[in-house]
Amino acid sequence: MNVLARSVGNAFRNKVRTAAVVAVLAVAIGLALSMLVANQAVAGKVAELNASVGTVLTVNPAGGQGFEGGGEPLTAVQAATAAAVPNVSTVVGTKALRLRNAAAAAAQAAAGQGGRGGPGGQSATTVTTSLTAAVDAGTLGNRNQASSGTTGTGTSGGAATPAAPAFSLPITATGVGAEVDAAGKALELTQGTGLGDYNAASAGALLGTTLAEKNGLAVGSTFTINDQTFTVAGLFDAGTAFGNNALYLTLPAAQTLAALPGELSTLIVTVNSMENVDAAKTALQAALGSDKADVSQGQRNLQTAVSSLGSVKNISFIAFVAALGTAGLIILLIMVMLVRERRREIGVLKAIGAPNRTVGLQFVLEALVLVALGSVVGAAVASFASGGIATALISSNTTSAAAAGGAGTGQRGAGGGAGFPGGGFPGGQGNPFGGANQLLTSVTASASPGVIAAGIAAVFGVAIIGALVPALLTARIRPIEVLRGE
Amino acid sequence: MIEVKNLVRTFNSGDKTIKPVNDVSFELAQGTLASIVGKSGSGKSTLLSLLGALDKPTSGDVVVNGVSLAGMPDSKLTEYRRRDIGFVFQQFNLIPNLSAVDNVMLPMEFAGIRKAARRERARGLLEQVQLDPEKHVRRINRLSGGEQQRVAIARALANAPRLILADEPTGNLDEQTGGHIIELLSSLSRDHNTTILVVTHDRSLANKTERRFRLQQGRLTEEPARTRATAASPA
Repeated sequence: MNVLARSVGNAFRNKVRTAAVVAVLAVAIGLALSMLVANQAVAGKVAELNASVGTVLTVNPAGGQGFEGGGEPLTAVQAATAAAVPNVSTVVGTKALRLRNAAAAAAQAAAGQGGRGGPGGQSATTVTTSLTAAVDAGTLGNRNQASSGTTGTGTSGGAATPAAPAFSLPITATGVGAEVDAAGKALELTQGTGLGDYNAASAGALLGTTLAEKNGLAVGSTFTINDQTFTVAGLFDAGTAFGNNALYLTLPAAQTLAALPGELSTLIVTVNSMENVDAAKTALQAALGSDKADVSQGQRNLQTAVSSLGSVKNISFIAFVAALGTAGLIILLIMVMLVRERRREIGVLKAIGAPNRTVGLQFVLEALVLVALGSVVGAAVASFASGGIATALISSNTTSAAAAGGAGTGQRGAGGGAGFPGGGFPGGQGNPFGGANQLLTSVTASASPGVIAAGIAAVFGVAIIGALVPALLTARIRPIEVLRGE
Repeated sequence: MIEVKNLVRTFNSGDKTIKPVNDVSFELAQGTLASIVGKSGSGKSTLLSLLGALDKPTSGDVVVNGVSLAGMPDSKLTEYRRRDIGFVFQQFNLIPNLSAVDNVMLPMEFAGIRKAARRERARGLLEQVQLDPEKHVRRINRLSGGEQQRVAIARALANAPRLILADEPTGNLDEQTGGHIIELLSSLSRDHNTTILVVTHDRSLANKTERRFRLQQGRLTEEPARTRATAASPA
């Protein structure tokens, strides 16, 4: 029997006590691992936000935003100008269209209802589709329809039509120059593939999951826009019912459908780092001219969310360290107790020739056996509890951020509601970051093997430190202890 | 050969200074079976702990085969205990959660002997102290007092020490079992040329040893010498 086997045997010498120690250690280690998992999840989210959205500037036509306002449309020349601004890494142009269900549009036209022309620089020509919106008009949609003032101003030009056909919401189709959404965030494809070259004409389209489901479409299915057939190349999940009632085309395809080649609705400008965002915004505004373009910084609205997530990250890290320290303290106290309890046995070992290092090593290994058992149970605890703990941490620490996010969401709704008669459209700059609340709740903490392994390594490191103190204490026990009580 | 020179050990107890070992000197030739008798608290165990390097003397020296223990660093003293000394204690002091054979293997493990070799030697020693082979792998707490003391003696012999120090080895045993233990120690001394010093307050046990010392108030005196033959006969 060597020192390791002896340590393992000693760890189980008192099974009840071992079970109690392992249970206490498991709670501390489980908490530490859960906090580490939460910390890693939040850190990953913050990095993702900073990398993908936090450095994004949105350029709208001066005086226009989404389908609202006026001014002159953006052009490819302005996109090239923006790309030449220092610290700008990419520029992606978009062209937004509002699609109306062909049958509903015909019925509304027959009933004397009409949409307002020129939305977001789109031509007055109605762009129709075979698709049906995945979102019902509901109270908000019908109220917006009524407040737009179009009811009763149709071809009959006089009295209101008493029996208006059911109102159908339009669908947002956005032509993009890269695989990003209207906010510049990478599309999360759940099925299929992307559209390949987004700056080339293509008959492919990416549909929101609910829009595809509403219309019974899958990857490979076809639908029409203005009688032109498009094939579903992929499905994406935007995370919201509104966002999923949309589709994406290549930029030239959208410009062709709008019959406005070269025109852009927005420019999504990505700056090379967060530190350069403010300077790039100023430079971009100057380069494009304040009378030609409005440059907005989505990061401002995101800052609250990122700040809250940063706070959660810090709290979870502190809690991780505290739980780790607790585990170390438990080990230290347990081992000090065991050393005191086994003074005589230590004296025996020394009396028969055991060197101090062997006795100390025996106690360190015994501590590590207890920690190993605690880690196994703790990892199981963490794998079940980490998600809930992370959610609780985020929800309890982001109240203010959620309020800010709610305001942002309202901004988006207002922008959409005041636009085309319908339930509301993405309203330009308010759109991407208004949902700070959504960003916060979209953090998913999963106990990955790598994080758990790193956490357990940290636990073992602390445990070794905790066990070294009592192990050093054994060196101070003299072999004469063997005769105590004889 | 063990030489004890003017050994003194003092303890402070409040204002008093206790001197359980007071200027003790004697010599023991290799292979001698000797005993130290004295009343409880006379300093027997303290003297034994000094001889076995479990404790350090206040003054004086212990010289074992020409090597002085005075001033020897702790690591060397540990090596001395491991290589040259075998202890047998009144309360056996075996490791309770280990088997008999594992207990005997411990000193050999500390001496760096390979596992297979130490297991073989441990079994041989347990057979030598006449422990039933089926009890070799039993845990210590499942053995009787006499069996535990046999295991303790086997452990003391593990590294073939030149000196065995036995502190009241029969103190916790009945008379018959105690007699067997003394016979065992005597035969070991004879067969292995091992010096054995037994500390006891049991006069009948002391009478079975070749040399007898008496410790009174810290001072050691030797009683008339006996040959091994007369020591073996009833006193």
